[in-house]
Amino acid sequence: MQDVMEATGSARPAHVKPDQFVDFDIYAPPGEGKSFYEGWQLLHAQGVPDVVWTPRNEGHWIVTRNDLIDEVFADHTRFSSRVILLPKSAGEQHNLIPTTLDPPEHRPYRSLLNSSFSPRAVGGIEAQIRDVAAGLVEAVRLDGQCNFTTAYAEILPIKVFMTMFGLPLEDSQQLKTWSDATTRADGTISMADALARIAAYLQPFLDARKGKDGDDMLSRIVNGKIGDRALSDVEALQLALQVLIAGLDTVVNFLGFTFLFLAQNPAHRQRLVEDPDLIPTAIEELVRRFPIVTIGREVVTDMEYHGAQLKKGEMIVTATVLGGLDPTVNPDPMKVDFDRVGARHVSFGTGPHKCPGAHLARTEISISIEEWLKRIPVFELAAGADVRVMGGIAATVNAVPLVWDPATTRAV
Amino acid sequence: MSLKINFQSASGATQVVDVAGGLTLMEAAVRGGIEEIAAECGGGISCATCHVYIPESWRELTGVPSTMEDELLEIVPHRQPGSRLSCQIKLTDRMDGLVVGLPVV
Ligand code: HEM
Repeated sequence: MQDVMEATGSARPAHVKPDQFVDFDIYAPPGEGKSFYEGWQLLHAQGVPDVVWTPRNEGHWIVTRNDLIDEVFADHTRFSSRVILLPKSAGEQHNLIPTTLDPPEHRPYRSLLNSSFSPRAVGGIEAQIRDVAAGLVEAVRLDGQCNFTTAYAEILPIKVFMTMFGLPLEDSQQLKTWSDATTRADGTISMADALARIAAYLQPFLDARKGKDGDDMLSRIVNGKIGDRALSDVEALQLALQVLIAGLDTVVNFLGFTFLFLAQNPAHRQRLVEDPDLIPTAIEELVRRFPIVTIGREVVTDMEYHGAQLKKGEMIVTATVLGGLDPTVNPDPMKVDFDRVGARHVSFGTGPHKCPGAHLARTEISISIEEWLKRIPVFELAAGADVRVMGGIAATVNAVPLVWDPATTRAV
Repeated sequence: MSLKINFQSASGATQVVDVAGGLTLMEAAVRGGIEEIAAECGGGISCATCHVYIPESWRELTGVPSTMEDELLEIVPHRQPGSRLSCQIKLTDRMDGLVVGLPVV
């Protein structure tokens, strides 16, 4: 507990009680990338209150228990989505829809997305997802090694996006580069520039689909209505952009965590090889054990909340990692147990903003495990691999270098 | 070990779906391929296409609808006292054996 309870030199705001004051950077939890999930678990230690305040990232609250995170996500009357990213000054600049709208304004925009994400719609593109997945595995199978992140995880989700939006698959890499630049500046192109380029790329497709009855997701968006008015071009672009951004890093990194785990845990992996029907259950346990998203809500009004004196306008962080790993709802939470019953988590959020892409994400992961294990049932992490997990709005795994013996693989 | 959820169609047929946990009732239905549950919005309380009926004996465990859920239930065909949106019911290990009535769609 030493780590998080140490004084930081920053002053404790008067309304924060001494035991609620911690030093915790949500974007760089203790452990230097080597023990990301363990670092977060410090907030579950004995004596840490359910609601704490850290001076980092402009100062904000963090709810540390699964059930409170669930409540903060879902109760827009007390916790608004007007600002969801930290630090707040940066979050104020982010105004994508539907994420930054509260009900009732939120619903008509969300409804425009829903039908494209329904189990029926996802079922309709499953065969295409499987083709892409199989192709990617087959491309490395005889090499006996790959960096799973770049060879697989970074490629599948953008291709799925292109498929859903009816965009040319050969533009995948370009769009991915711009999308990445909107969430993390790598110095080559600025965030604003990246957004402008995505908008310019999508505009001709928007124009071409307006007034037509295509059933790809982009057509459904551009021809969407908010009440009885048509959606504006700016709104259509924002919705498309939100789907793009929300569906890439999350899946890329969840795939990374999944394959890192399978590489290091042969007994778990072998069970899935022998019994592929167990894969959906296994995915649910992995979703609980490896939550990705850390965002927040803006406090709507002054209130007392589980012992904390929240003030209007303050940010309160919903770190999904503190949900599934909460030992008060899931005993022995760090253990991956495919036989766990009645587990709880908030990895896809809860309430009106609950991830509409959850079924799609589960489908992508499930297909990935199936297609990989069919061809490469035995693999491990490369010796000396320097795997690091970094915090962020979406936690990231820098690289997952895998090795295997081509003789143990199978052509399918 | 797992939770067994019994989905009963309006026709009387029962489909048993086996899940471990961490899911909502809607997600269990989708997992089990229950046709009556279209689950369009994925659990965002914005569509009402995961409507189910919870028998009285189970209602204490499944709880009562929130205001937002209640508003959406106004628009489902054939609302009854046990009507719920299955996306708002979080499965716990005490719900093993849960019986769920499905609407006519
Ligand atoms: C493992 C993968 C994923 C995780 C962990 C995840 C997690 C989340 C979470 C926690 C939220 C709630 C945000 C909030 O309450 O403010 C969310 C919202 C959202 N997600 Fe996902 N997501 C994943 C995959 C996807 C995919 C594949 C897509 C689409 C292609 C997607 C699209 C969205 C959208 C559009 C929203 C905003 C919904 C709204 O504001 O109503 N997500 N996601």
